[in-house]
Amino acid sequence: MAHATAMLDDDMMAPPRGYEQGMGVYNEKLGMWVFLGSEVMFFTALIGAYIILRVAHPDAWKPPGEVLNVPLTAINTFLLICSSVTMVKAFAAIQDGNLAGLKRWLIATVLIGAGFVGVQVFEYMHLMSVGFVPSEGLYGSTFYTMTGFHGFHVTVGVICMIYVTWRAFRGKYSAADHRGVEVVGLYWHFVDLVWIILFTIVYLI
Amino acid sequence: MEKAKHAHPNYIGIFFFLAALTAVELGVAFLPWPKMVLILLLIFLAIWKAALVALYYMHLRYEPNRLRLLAIAPLPLAVILVVAVTREFRW
Amino acid sequence: MATITAPTAGHIATGEAHAHEMSFLRKYIFSTDHKIIGIQFLIMSLVFLLVGGLLAMVIRWQLGFPGQAMPGGGVLPDTMAPDGIVLPEFYNALVTMHGTFMVFFAIMPLLVGVFGNYLIPLKIGAPDMAFPRINMASFWIAVPAGIMMIAGFVVEGGHAAAGWTAYAPLSERADLTGVSMGQILWCISLIILGLSSILGSFNYITTVINLRAPGMHWFRLPLSIWALFVTAILVLLAMPILSGAIIMLLFDQTLGTHFFGPAQGGQPLLWQHLFWFFGHPEVYILILPAMGFASDIIANGSRKPVFGYASMVFAILAIAVLGWGVWGHHMFMSGMNPTLGTSFMISTMLIAVPSAIKVFNWLGTIWGGSVRFHVPMLHAVAFVSMFIIGGLSGIFMASTPVDIYIHDTYFIVAHLHYVLFGGSLFAIFAAISYWYPKMFGRMMNPFWAKVHFVITFIAYNGVFFPMHQLGLQGHMRRIFDPNEYEFLQHLQGINTFISISAFVLFAAQFIFAINFIASWFVGAKAPDNPWDDNGLEWTVASPPPHGNFATIPRVFRGPYEYSSPLVEEDFLPQNRELPPQPAASAAHT
Repeated sequence: MAHATAMLDDDMMAPPRGYEQGMGVYNEKLGMWVFLGSEVMFFTALIGAYIILRVAHPDAWKPPGEVLNVPLTAINTFLLICSSVTMVKAFAAIQDGNLAGLKRWLIATVLIGAGFVGVQVFEYMHLMSVGFVPSEGLYGSTFYTMTGFHGFHVTVGVICMIYVTWRAFRGKYSAADHRGVEVVGLYWHFVDLVWIILFTIVYLI
Repeated sequence: MEKAKHAHPNYIGIFFFLAALTAVELGVAFLPWPKMVLILLLIFLAIWKAALVALYYMHLRYEPNRLRLLAIAPLPLAVILVVAVTREFRW
Repeated sequence: MATITAPTAGHIATGEAHAHEMSFLRKYIFSTDHKIIGIQFLIMSLVFLLVGGLLAMVIRWQLGFPGQAMPGGGVLPDTMAPDGIVLPEFYNALVTMHGTFMVFFAIMPLLVGVFGNYLIPLKIGAPDMAFPRINMASFWIAVPAGIMMIAGFVVEGGHAAAGWTAYAPLSERADLTGVSMGQILWCISLIILGLSSILGSFNYITTVINLRAPGMHWFRLPLSIWALFVTAILVLLAMPILSGAIIMLLFDQTLGTHFFGPAQGGQPLLWQHLFWFFGHPEVYILILPAMGFASDIIANGSRKPVFGYASMVFAILAIAVLGWGVWGHHMFMSGMNPTLGTSFMISTMLIAVPSAIKVFNWLGTIWGGSVRFHVPMLHAVAFVSMFIIGGLSGIFMASTPVDIYIHDTYFIVAHLHYVLFGGSLFAIFAAISYWYPKMFGRMMNPFWAKVHFVITFIAYNGVFFPMHQLGLQGHMRRIFDPNEYEFLQHLQGINTFISISAFVLFAAQFIFAINFIASWFVGAKAPDNPWDDNGLEWTVASPPPHGNFATIPRVFRGPYEYSSPLVEEDFLPQNRELPPQPAASAAHT
């Protein structure tokens, strides 16, 4: 049904009732996990290409810290992890029915997430000003493609997060139904997870 | 299966662990050890952090087994691609 | 995406009782009903099938009557065919775009976008997909992708011309090919199409997992649904690889990166590996749903259960899993690591086994059945026989030493068309004629459908069977003028014969097109269950109401209980409840 309206006694966060036993979780959560599978493959293509090119032509890379700003990015990594914490605190808040907490933690997540993107943009501008551009050999090509698409995913995440925050302020979430919060949270943690891998292999190796 | 009404995991505790692991990574990266050792250590640390995020922040620890299986299903494919194609450059 | 409302489990879909009157725009253009979206994909895909066919006709003109003015060729600009004579550069674009349109805009959406959408909710007993609005988005994202791909024909430098496989570094060397904007549009179009496919696939997967009607256990699913479900998983995991590779190609062209260009350490072979890592699962995406439809239709036409249902399911799974480990067989001649080549040879030989199991099971299904040769059955049996030929030629290619000889010849072209046309397209004709009554509430004209089938089958073999011979004689693929090579000149007669067969084949499709369009308006009204089939879709009206079922059906058995001793009729629908049987009766599933 395109416009299903919930029955009063429906637990929206339980698996769909009246159907054969499925994955054991509600549709939106299953859908997001399945979608994240495709994102894993997308980053596999980009990160895989990087690993393969680096094995093929290791001389094209500089030692860690020589070109890229490791301390700044380490702080940025820490920021992104913080935003995962604020996200999960928002989720925990609404699980307990704490609407005020939900709003506070969501706003924190949006701000920190936007901050991460801001630092990345600043980093890009600095790097390009010293001549480290996408066309700067294999190093530049892989660096900008991987971190750029990650940054793009973070930006999309921030936009979705703003939408969820707006809905939270309109009172659309409750302890009984906060699917949107959980689902956007899953995406957000995934983006953090990818960065954990990226930070290690792009900046530290 | 209903959402288990379990107590929240210790999110802040996990956060401090993640921060600590990141600090260890930073330390390891600049040690004067053989490159291969550093790479293995750093990958191990990164995977540990990723697992923590997946298990606790993404709640995989508390989800049905089937969902956990679904979540890790794409990983073998990633391994196949990278392992096979790097063979191209290491005959 | 954060707050899509799923159809609530307890909510009973009451079809017509849905009070609000929807505008024409909301009901038929921006519809979230999976059936409408399926039909939208059908119309779009058939248009692109026509485009792909037209491109093939120009190719066949050039090969059959080289250097001669094409009838009607005067309409083409001088950059393509001055005085109606095809230019070599245009020829390269033709073969590239024929492949591109057929694979991405015709066959894939026909199999997955049309029948995935149309059949999945109906056949599992659900009111709609898990995410109806994302479903709508999936179609409307595909449309601009298609428009962009067409636009490539009119840009400066012409359309992409590096093959549908866009091998680097040729595809990124505009300085050598003269093609710049065309290749860029090709890249962007496919990235957008990839997004459409991924949105569709996670919808299908979630729906099949979570929205099966009570009693619809996994091993009671029709094989068409198993196939579509597994295909959706392949789409989900393979398309992003293509997207990633294309992004790298696009950046090489526009940002000056060096992924594939050898000058600064880039690796052309990386493109091939990435492309085929996607490309091989892609060809299973193009055949698995076809196999699923064939199973459903052959069981129905034979009035017998599918032979070896469980092994059919395991074969589908085996093909899907093994399919990730064979991609290198497209690259035997690339100069790749020979040891890697050997492992790909072995895995490719292995994957023939589950396909063969399926073939034997189809034969076992027909054997001893009281066969009804309705139009879908004709196409389905043609599918099996043509797929056997295509599969057998594949075994030759799997052997690396043999492939050294036949790679990039017409032997490969023969193989791929036997599995994609003889296989997928015949199965699509079967599926369209089978489910047309359900979709449109009308029957297609059976006489003209049979005429279409006979002419198509004969002409099709006239086109593609001789290509095996061409290939063995060393006729390369994608070449503009074989007569440039002395050792190929004696093959011109075969090429001309193929081309004439191709023109007949193309013309015959108008019979299908007219039948399709006319029947929509004046075809005989279709009953609920014209084929006496057991599937859930045949228990509701043709076409089904919005919401599909008045109440969620309850399923008691698998979908292939034909000629069951339990009932008088020779079919037994999945949702029909029988009075309790005495202990001696056969257990179902």
